Amino acid sequence: MMEIKLASVDSVIIYFSNEISQETSLIVKNAYRILKEENNKALIEIVPSYSSILISYDIFNYDFKSICEYLEQILQTIDIKQTQSKNIINIDVYYGLDVGLDLKRLSTLSNLSIDEIITVHSSKVYDVYAIGFLPGFAFMASVDDSIAIPRLETPRKKIPKGSVAIANNQTAVYPIDSPGGWNIIGKTAFELFDKKLESLSPLNIESKIKFNSISKEEFLAQGGTL
Amino acid sequence: MSGFEVINSGIFTLLQDRGRFGFTHLGVANSGVMDEYAAFMAQKLLHNDIDINILVMAFGNVIFKSTSRTMISVCGAQCEFFINDISKDIWQTHSINAGDIIKIGKILKGQRVYLAVKDGFYVKKEFGSNSTTIKEEMGGLNGKQIKKNDFLPYKKYDTLLAQRLKKEHVPKYDQDILTLRVILSYQEDSFSALEKEKFFNSVYTVTSDFNRMACKLKGEKITSTLDGIISEGISFGSIQIPKDGQPIILLKERQTIGGYPKIGSVLSIDCFKLAQRKINSKIRFEKIDIIEAQKKLKDFYGTFF
Repeated sequence: MMEIKLASVDSVIIYFSNEISQETSLIVKNAYRILKEENNKALIEIVPSYSSILISYDIFNYDFKSICEYLEQILQTIDIKQTQSKNIINIDVYYGLDVGLDLKRLSTLSNLSIDEIITVHSSKVYDVYAIGFLPGFAFMASVDDSIAIPRLETPRKKIPKGSVAIANNQTAVYPIDSPGGWNIIGKTAFELFDKKLESLSPLNIESKIKFNSISKEEFLAQGGTL
Repeated sequence: MSGFEVINSGIFTLLQDRGRFGFTHLGVANSGVMDEYAAFMAQKLLHNDIDINILVMAFGNVIFKSTSRTMISVCGAQCEFFINDISKDIWQTHSINAGDIIKIGKILKGQRVYLAVKDGFYVKKEFGSNSTTIKEEMGGLNGKQIKKNDFLPYKKYDTLLAQRLKKEHVPKYDQDILTLRVILSYQEDSFSALEKEKFFNSVYTVTSDFNRMACKLKGEKITSTLDGIISEGISFGSIQIPKDGQPIILLKERQTIGGYPKIGSVLSIDCFKLAQRKINSKIRFEKIDIIEAQKKLKDFYGTFF
């Protein structure tokens, strides 16, 4: 399925599915790659998400009809081959009770020990499904059902930068201080929004992420703060 | 060095330009001027490129002292505007000499005053833009709003013929009801004919939840058949309808993705008019089709290119 819909006077949105799945995400990533490779300056912004891509375009180059025709033509052949996971980004996490504000609650809710939670969270390689909410905030999935707990009923006013968090089957790292409702299980010194990088973020929608458990000493040595 | 010394910064004075493009896929806001009409007109009067940076004042009592000659133009909200304590008109250019004191006093009608300088301020761009986005600490001077004692450098500029905008092109910011033209889009199918009728036949009020990110309205409740949607890219001007049924119009510093159903998008040039409305202003919506909408947008930018 591929459906192009109006979004605004100068943007369209392409829907690839109406559900979240790994297969849908692969289609989105493939289509995103094709769009980027076009290197077409008239495509001003290309915003991939779970099951869609929003495109804003230069109306002096395309009107609504011609942008639809162009997109349909270049996206005729999307293959969904699993991308090779050479792009695995390792994120070191200190899973300590002093930074993992919801670890204890998660332990009670899941009937797992803290060590078991750490093993479950850090043993998987996660896919990025969308980036947004904050600059560099990547929605990663899928977290194992045993530790998938819903968002907090009342969001916290301030979640510290670097906090590693879970909401249902998704996990993420807060790239900057922010209000938020996700469950905090640890902290990293890894920068997800880094103005020193030309790309602004070490990850993108095609990245795969692996979390590694480190000690408090290692975390502090990496520049982490409690 | 030539430039403005900031004697008084006002509460929320920002350096902006057209916006930061090409990083939305990482969650970085486009940012940029909220009222492109006033901002671009200020540039045009100075024969500046419309991509050049500009100061935006949302609250008055801003004072600059120039250290050398230049030309400036002030456009946007009607305000008290003085050069060396002499009241001056906006929507026109002014010659500035070394030592001149430029003051924006009270803002009277409208919400944002734009001050452009010939050839712009010499501030290094961050990721392609001078636009300030506070939460990202991006753009402007060190990612922050303008503060007292900041220095805004420009290149000394000697003469330029004064330019003034014809009166008929100066917008009014105080009509009783502002009409925003809407392109039905996104999840419009999830709003029944009855809901759409309510939407287009009601008068909404601008609430105090109005900032560079979004404008929340209050009025007739609109209901979607969808509770939420899978998070997707959100366009400038798109109208989210959250569960409380009160429309939210998403503006320049909006989040890049979001999960509320959207009934459509306000034509961008009408968002520029909205940017000059105060809290408690009245708004109504009117349908426009995409062909007509794109024609209007081309006409708008055609004036400035």
